[in-house]
Amino acid sequence: MSNSGRVIRPRFDPVARPFHEITDEQFDAAFERPLQDTIAELQDAYRSGVKRMVVVVPTTAMSGGNRYAHTAAAAEAIRVLVKSAARQWGASGVTVNAIAVDPASVLDDVHVAGPVSIAPRALGSADPRALIEFLCSEAAGDVTGQTFNVDGGQLM
Amino acid sequence: MTSAQPQGSRLQGRTAIVTGAGQGVGEGIARRLASEGANVVIAARRAETGDPIAASITAVGGRAACVVTDVTDRTSMANCVATTIEMYGSLEIMVHNAFAGARAHRLEEARIDGTFDDDWTAMSRTSVWGSLYSAQAAFEHLRTAGNRGRLILLTSPSGIEGSANIPLYSPAKAAQRAIAKSLAREWGEYGITVNCIAPVAASPALIRVFKEVDGLQAATAARTPLGRVGDITSDIGSVALFLASDDSSYVTGQTIVCDGGSFLGL
Repeated sequence: MSNSGRVIRPRFDPVARPFHEITDEQFDAAFERPLQDTIAELQDAYRSGVKRMVVVVPTTAMSGGNRYAHTAAAAEAIRVLVKSAARQWGASGVTVNAIAVDPASVLDDVHVAGPVSIAPRALGSADPRALIEFLCSEAAGDVTGQTFNVDGGQLM
Repeated sequence: MTSAQPQGSRLQGRTAIVTGAGQGVGEGIARRLASEGANVVIAARRAETGDPIAASITAVGGRAACVVTDVTDRTSMANCVATTIEMYGSLEIMVHNAFAGARAHRLEEARIDGTFDDDWTAMSRTSVWGSLYSAQAAFEHLRTAGNRGRLILLTSPSGIEGSANIPLYSPAKAAQRAIAKSLAREWGEYGITVNCIAPVAASPALIRVFKEVDGLQAATAARTPLGRVGDITSDIGSVALFLASDDSSYVTGQTIVCDGGSFLGL
């Protein structure tokens, strides 16, 4: 991996919560904190001269999740923030991409959240490390603002 | 179309709250829903903007009232719903449209690597927290309404594709789409549908931005296949009417992009 690459892994709320019962404190912790922390990490990376940024979110960002609206809101906000950053920093040679991973690696109860697809997953394994290495390399200089699902082919 | 003169009865006997209905897209939606027989609550932050809209609807035979509401305040939103129930007896349709912020459309004023705390707070509190409070306040009544229960959130094409000029507007609007998808799953068992509209319309906010940013209006027209900016009532209000009515009973968790075709990447 290039020294100029940085991987950002926001901390998402893994706990299932009915939306109509969420308190201000819970929503602040689940939505505002991960987003603000990610903004701060992106800012630090940009100011430090990092040219390749990769942000890891669960596919729940795109699929939504039963009793995980708070987590999905944060994840999707961060996924689209990646696009804004890619658009804004592209002229500086900075690329920003997102990797969307299996919700099982983020959420406590994926069965409550519900399926992310109408079909079963295609592959048994889903290791994002090789893709992260590519996205942080010089060779990925023309790839930015994208979301890559590394979830074994659940969400297509 | 700008009047709320009754045209049909597709929403007869149903009550809708439209936040941010004192002007712009919210006003257009309120007028369109009222034109199909809905009792409409104009949930506006200021009576100076909300009262005239309600009066103009009632003047042509519709049913509307302004309830001064701050969507960033949980208690205010709950009071809005309680007042609505007192006035009309039920709540079937909650439309959360209110929004504040995103003043900066000039790149030099909207750097992600800059400072933006005030702008973000305004956008997040109105869009995202407003979605939380409006959904929570409406939930019990939408559940009672069953398969006539509707939650509609106003998002944006920028919430899908990101934006260099309004970089934090995009995540705020993206969060609303994720909330809609999640609540579609969560509230589906009660028959409630939850959807988003992503409009581009000639609201006062957009017109102001067109005046502030050289070339933006021409660039917007150039990338819009239909060659015009949407009307708040006939174009955007009619999409809200579809989502509020029985016609959309099997549609949930979706975003309808209503922008003349300028964004085709969904």
